[in-house]
Amino acid sequence: MTTHAAVRTTGLTKTYGAGPSQVRALTDVDAEFARAEFTAIMGPSGSGKSTLLHCVAGLDTLSAGRVWIGDTDLTGLDDDALTVFRRDRLGFVFQAFNLLPTLTARENIVLPLELARRRPDPEKVAGIVDAVGLSDRLDHRPSELSGGQQQRVACARALVTGPEVVFADEPTGALDSTSSAEVLGLLRHSADAFGQTVVMVTHDPSAAAYADSVLFLDDGRVVDSLRGPTADSVLDRIKALEKAVR
Amino acid sequence: MLRAILRDLREHKVRVAMTLAAIALGACAVVASWVVSDSTIATLAAGTESREGVDAAAWRGDEGILSEADREALEDMEGVASARSVTAFRAGLIGPDGDLVGSTTPLDMTGTGWDDSGRFSLVEGRSPRAPEEIAVDRVTAEQAGIAVGEDTGVLLDGGHIAEVTVVGAFDYRTLGEHDADDAWVDPRPDVVFDARSAQEHTPGFARVELAAASGADPEQVSRDAESVVAGASAASATTLAEVSDEGQRDAARELRLSLLPFAGIAMLVGVFVISNTFRLLVTQRTRHFALLRAVGARRAQVRATVVVEALVLGAVGAVLGSALGAVLGPAVLTVLRPGEELVFAVSPVALFAGGLAAIVTTVAAAYGAARRAGSVAPMAALREGTGEPGGVRRGRHLLGAVLLLAGVAAVLATSSPSEAAASRIIGLAGAAVSAVGVLLLTPAFTRAALGLVSGVVRNGAGPATRLGLRNAARDPRRAASTVGAVTVGLALVCAIATLSATFASLIASTTEANVPESTTVVEPAAGDRGALVPAAEDPVLESTDVAEIAALSEVGTAMAGSDAMARIDHPGGSTRRVVSAVDPEGLGTALTPHMLEGEADLDRGVIMAETQADMLGLGVGDRLTLGIEGVDLETRVAGLYEATEMSASVFFDVADAPHELADRVNRVHVTGPDPQAARAAVEEAVGDRPDVMVSDRDALIERDVERQQAGFMVMNAMFGLVILVAVFGVVNTLVLSVRERGREIGMLRAVGARRRTVHRVIRVESLALCVFGGLLGIVLGVGVGAVMQNAMLGQSLWTPTVPVPVIATAAAGTVALGVIAAVWPAGVAARTDPLEAITAE
Ligand SMILES: Nc1ncnc2c1ncn2[C@@H]1O[C@H](COP(=O)(O)OP(=O)(O)O)[C@@H](O)[C@H]1O
Ligand SMILES: [Mg+2]
Repeated sequence: MTTHAAVRTTGLTKTYGAGPSQVRALTDVDAEFARAEFTAIMGPSGSGKSTLLHCVAGLDTLSAGRVWIGDTDLTGLDDDALTVFRRDRLGFVFQAFNLLPTLTARENIVLPLELARRRPDPEKVAGIVDAVGLSDRLDHRPSELSGGQQQRVACARALVTGPEVVFADEPTGALDSTSSAEVLGLLRHSADAFGQTVVMVTHDPSAAAYADSVLFLDDGRVVDSLRGPTADSVLDRIKALEKAVR
Repeated sequence: MLRAILRDLREHKVRVAMTLAAIALGACAVVASWVVSDSTIATLAAGTESREGVDAAAWRGDEGILSEADREALEDMEGVASARSVTAFRAGLIGPDGDLVGSTTPLDMTGTGWDDSGRFSLVEGRSPRAPEEIAVDRVTAEQAGIAVGEDTGVLLDGGHIAEVTVVGAFDYRTLGEHDADDAWVDPRPDVVFDARSAQEHTPGFARVELAAASGADPEQVSRDAESVVAGASAASATTLAEVSDEGQRDAARELRLSLLPFAGIAMLVGVFVISNTFRLLVTQRTRHFALLRAVGARRAQVRATVVVEALVLGAVGAVLGSALGAVLGPAVLTVLRPGEELVFAVSPVALFAGGLAAIVTTVAAAYGAARRAGSVAPMAALREGTGEPGGVRRGRHLLGAVLLLAGVAAVLATSSPSEAAASRIIGLAGAAVSAVGVLLLTPAFTRAALGLVSGVVRNGAGPATRLGLRNAARDPRRAASTVGAVTVGLALVCAIATLSATFASLIASTTEANVPESTTVVEPAAGDRGALVPAAEDPVLESTDVAEIAALSEVGTAMAGSDAMARIDHPGGSTRRVVSAVDPEGLGTALTPHMLEGEADLDRGVIMAETQADMLGLGVGDRLTLGIEGVDLETRVAGLYEATEMSASVFFDVADAPHELADRVNRVHVTGPDPQAARAAVEEAVGDRPDVMVSDRDALIERDVERQQAGFMVMNAMFGLVILVAVFGVVNTLVLSVRERGREIGMLRAVGARRRTVHRVIRVESLALCVFGGLLGIVLGVGVGAVMQNAMLGQSLWTPTVPVPVIATAAAGTVALGVIAAVWPAGVAARTDPLEAITAE
């Protein structure tokens, strides 16, 4: 069965530990992330945003439920298959420490291709580098780049394989507002220009405003969603949710 | 504070374990050497437990014998209760190969007669009862491979061989092998006949053992004995036991002194490992120290935390290592002295020395790291560091370069093979100094070499190879101290191998230059017991043997050579050297010294090795005096020939030598009109004798090379330990760096590196470090070896024999080590969870 969704979960449950100290990070999450769209996941700290992202991105195992990316059921894959799947079909941007310090910016960008032993297509790489705007810093090591530049390199690396989905976990969490805007603009542009599916975790309403839609989590459950968000509408929804909880 | 440190140690189990192991290995080496030497003594001492009923002994030195009349005179002395005579005579045990079995007892005292005085304690079989039965010393028999019940031969005086059956094996209790003047008194016999047969093999007694009457003073008895029997020596059993104990203590000290340097080297390599570990742990905790500083800890306090940590680790490692050494020492000894009943001695001094060495080494090795911890800026707590290393210290490199250049200059300035001893030592010191310089420069070399390699493979290799190489090169200082240990180990092996290979080819080339291929060489069968147990004395042939060979019709020349240690007075001073009395007639036919200067004419004086003449400052025509066994011989240098320093001799005319010397022949060079026929005739005449060996030039070379190789083998085995410690250091660094880089490896996994790829990254890193360290060690080792052969063998600096097999093995070995060292760290790395990159603190 094919769907419109790029990513789909059913009954996704994740628990940590066992016995009385058991933590339920996600409870029975059914969610879909639309193809060629930019989706933000929001929620208070500890609500399970990162856990959800890790589970749908094949970085963490599930306690129960299923995850599909396109037609692939991730729960059926072993570690090597999952790794190859991540390498070939997914892209990642994390909050920090995205890059290998011994590689230059260019080498970091093409690393997934190299790991797959695929020859980088120079035109495509040039296009992405152009979009990221780092043509003159490509031979620098990460330690010689600013935080914003590092995150843009990470974005370029996530995009270079032409993945089905790019996952980003608070990619702007450690950046100032100017650098944040650059990175978010880049993710927005990739969805618009290349039809890239992007799933981003954030707790910043103004970051969520860059997305096409927002999914709200609380205490490990999907509690709400919003299409065409603005910073204000997102903020309103959060306040409403907080009241509802009290 | 202490509690915080202890908690910290507990939290980093792996790091603690690795460091402890490095510390423990050093302590273990020290304690083990100590235990080996102490136990060797204790074993020897156990054999000298004093015998009941003997209070003094009298003997006549230098193969003189006592008669029954002497014994009666001694027994009649006041204060003597009884006097028992003891025989000693030539009874060389012949091994399964037909040659004499090696012995620590002089050949002329290897036999004695059985008695039940308590000298023998039977450990197997029974005592000999008939002329064709013998009992043998248990250890000698075991080492020779002769068992009770077997038939064998015994070489008696006059060359007669008795066919005998071994009926028993015994352990011997000696009164003390030597007296205070180093004369033989009661060496352990190898072969025991029944008392009556024994008496038939010798006309008198070697010794009379006295029991003192009750109340008599053994010292007085022994003094009286010397006056009762003219020319005899005597001593009380107590004195003999003391002398023997003293000798054993000396032997222990010597053994210890020769073993401790190896322990020292193990410790030195341990320093690399320990200091590296501490450096890593300080880097890991930079933020922690910065936080301490930020909340008000003074530099000294931060430094103290690391020093205290080192003390705690040092103490624990010391205890573990000492315990391990106390176990390992006896194990080593069991391997070194097979078949012997060993007594193991683990002295508190040994444990203390090992422990102290470990603690001091640890604290010293950690001090650099402690200083770095102290100098962490409080700001570092706030900085978001990716742990990128600082640059390489300039000062270190400058010092390294200066030392290297100074060392090389010293070597070059003293490289002429004719330099005097003092400047040779300067040359060796120069080699050591430049080796230290190279070690200091290792970070620069590492960066240059690994950078170069990464550059070369940039496009060819896969991402794993590239990442591995980059990782190896990312912190040149860490890489340097990791490879430093490997470098030191391989440098030691290669230096010794170069020296040894040069020596071997020198032995071959000089023997070839001086002995014609057709010459037959007759020598006494050596009977080596192995490198670790020196033979009692050099075996010799007698002048009658030479006469017998010379009388063969096929033999044209039979040139006897008799060696002696002589005093050489030369214008520059006086030294002791081996000299050879030879028959001038044989020079030029049986023996053809390759003359470099002057002539091989013993009428004009002596001919000596050129290397020796250089060292003594002598040239052709110069005067010198040989002092041989009390006779002074004024002569000149007639000519100089080519020889290795260790095989060098000074040849002089046997006509000028004292008679006693001419009667003890060390070798006979034989040739004739038809050299083949001469050899066949000699083989026919004496080839079957167990105490004679007939060989030729090539056999001589082979044997000498083998003998010198055996010495170096022991060294190489010891250096194996060093390399073990070094590998351990590589594992240590890799495991710690892998843990330190968990986030990075997680990231690599997240973006799609399979476990296999991560595995390969670490393996490449390990290989790069080991192979680089190994190559540097090989180059350094061959260089130092070249200097050593230049300084110690008097050869040209530029023509060392490169030990290709050793180098090939070493190179292959480092590759293997690199792979082995990577197994664990690569496993740890491959198990890294991709989430670690994202969720780590
Ligand atoms: N490795 C873990 N072990 C135990 N509990 C965890 C682990 N990771 C996350 N949690 C718990 O799961 C819940 C969700 O965490 P997370 O997904 O990181 O939240 P968010 O990203 O929304 O802040 C939290 O209560 C957190 O404490
Ligand atoms: Mg989170």
